[in-house]
Amino acid sequence: MGVVIAVGLAVAGYALTRPGARFGRQDGTWHRVQVNGDLYVGVIPTYERFAEWTPERPVGLEADIALEIGRRLGVETSLLIYSDDSLYDALYKGETDFVLSGLQVDPARADWVHFSRPYFDAGPILVSRAEAPVMSMRALDGGTVAVELASSGHVAAEQQWQRRLKSLDIRPYMLPEDAMQAVLAGEVDAALVDGVQARLFVADHVELVMGDEAVVAEEYVIALREADFRLVEEVERALDEMHADGTLDEIIDRWL
Amino acid sequence: MVEPVSDVPLFVMRVSSHKLSSPLLFSLLRFAGVLVRLLVLVAVMRPLHPAPPRVVLGPPHTVETVHPVVCAHTRLTDEVEEWKIQRTLSLVREMGAGTIVEFFPWPYAESERGTYDWAHFDRIMRHAENQGLDVIARLGMVPGWARPPAEEKITNANYLPDEHFETFAQYVAAFVGRYGDQVDAIIIWNEPNLSGEWGERAVDPEAYTWLLRMSYEAAHAVDPDVVVMGGALAPTTDAEAGSLNMSDIEFLERMYAAEAAGYFDVLAVHTYGHVSAPQDAPDPAVTNFRRIELLREIMHRNGDDDKPVVITEGGWLDDPRSTIGVRPGQRITYTLAAFEMVEGWPWAEHLCIWNFRLPLDLRSRRDAYYALVSSDFYIKPIYYAIQAFAREWENPYQLWTIAEPSAAD
Repeated sequence: MGVVIAVGLAVAGYALTRPGARFGRQDGTWHRVQVNGDLYVGVIPTYERFAEWTPERPVGLEADIALEIGRRLGVETSLLIYSDDSLYDALYKGETDFVLSGLQVDPARADWVHFSRPYFDAGPILVSRAEAPVMSMRALDGGTVAVELASSGHVAAEQQWQRRLKSLDIRPYMLPEDAMQAVLAGEVDAALVDGVQARLFVADHVELVMGDEAVVAEEYVIALREADFRLVEEVERALDEMHADGTLDEIIDRWL
Repeated sequence: MVEPVSDVPLFVMRVSSHKLSSPLLFSLLRFAGVLVRLLVLVAVMRPLHPAPPRVVLGPPHTVETVHPVVCAHTRLTDEVEEWKIQRTLSLVREMGAGTIVEFFPWPYAESERGTYDWAHFDRIMRHAENQGLDVIARLGMVPGWARPPAEEKITNANYLPDEHFETFAQYVAAFVGRYGDQVDAIIIWNEPNLSGEWGERAVDPEAYTWLLRMSYEAAHAVDPDVVVMGGALAPTTDAEAGSLNMSDIEFLERMYAAEAAGYFDVLAVHTYGHVSAPQDAPDPAVTNFRRIELLREIMHRNGDDDKPVVITEGGWLDDPRSTIGVRPGQRITYTLAAFEMVEGWPWAEHLCIWNFRLPLDLRSRRDAYYALVSSDFYIKPIYYAIQAFAREWENPYQLWTIAEPSAAD
């Protein structure tokens, strides 16, 4: 009998004090977003094609994602401009409801920041000729790969894949475009280059294809305050929907 | 029914007689047993936790370099693990950089007014000396006790009220008194032409000159030979109406007009290439590497030719997303060319690359890309390129080029 009462009390206590319940913690940000119908999003406007400054407002992939989330929440989105040094401060102080600017998950901030599901992976990816596609690094065993000098693709090829494969000839070029030109010229089997540069170049060269996924992940996420649990739920839901219905891909294709 | 025993207190007898039979109490006792076992397990496992790495200074090192112009701006301020401080500074030495710029914030030393705690600074100095590195100490920031209370005024950590200029000068004097023999020079404040670095208020060249003067006099009262660097201005063209920032050119001109010349021995300069090659000509409307020549021209006009210049922050950003950056390979090429360029200027002493390594990369994407070594000690290709330059080793990177199309193509 005692056990039953204890369990009953525990369940009732949880029901009344869980986040959002009558005696539980409340999400003041979500309340404000709903009442005022506004959403403040922080960006750094120095990221080409992601968030670039214009006299009217920042434009780019990240700006469009923020606006689309606002649209799905039924509120008006304002994009606020910050520097690298002040972006997280703005989130912490409550000046913004969330921030996105090429951010990656930062474990050191996980105590107060919720990092969303990734909206884009910009990591280095393979580019090869469509007639002789190379979709994974393992397929390059015994082959030759072009990389951009000192890029993350160069580092990954040297530090990870040259050791894993029996042989891999790595040829550094000054620019990612040079590395991909080497693929077109048939000088190498594939190029391992920045994911954004790869998308832009391949879009103009139908004879080239990209690998299935980035060789090294560089996933960009949205950062929100963990305490804003309702807003977190709503933003994650909006991202899931954008992913499922193809809106996210549309936005990415628009800019890259 | 348990019979009372004369030497057992009454309440124990009651517990024994009634509650022991209760299932709830039985469960609690069983839970207590599990808890005791867990505590014993933790006590046994605790010593198995790996001990932090021991830090031994070892014999003193010397920097091997052919190009003393190579210098790095380290960020050991928030590095709490001593072995990381040692590892960072040993990598600086191995790169062939003989000089570092390091930040020594006032609040870290005097978090309580009048009580100095030099432990962290001592650690950095000890390891820098052991690695054979010269230290340029950047002094700045304001402790909470020297700023207005939050209910009176919202400020940031760079807000120094006028009435505490003297107190800051006392910190400078205390720092010089302790480390005067160990540091190459001290820099008074950082980028005072930016509002954020001047406490989120309109910048004030005359006030900065006053701070420089008080600091200079306080430092020289303790050690007449200490080298005081002034300026450390942010390269900016910001001159819009209503802006709280000020162009570095205008700021330096107003410093000279306020008679700053007598209160610094070396001009500290920040110069970044952004999207430009190092050779690009200086232009007041552009922030490029050779902007430093415009500042030098102001020194010349003010009869300050004999004073050297040190680039205490500089370099290129290779974030592939940034609109103010270059590609990683270009960064290497530009950086090495910039070292050679600075070597050719008789009035310039060092080019200190921003930045060598950060305690936490993910704090700032931009600064993480600037870093030559990542937080977890991954050494980037640019480090090896600078090392090969500084020590005149063979270039570690052979570059491929696209074969020129033949006539038949």
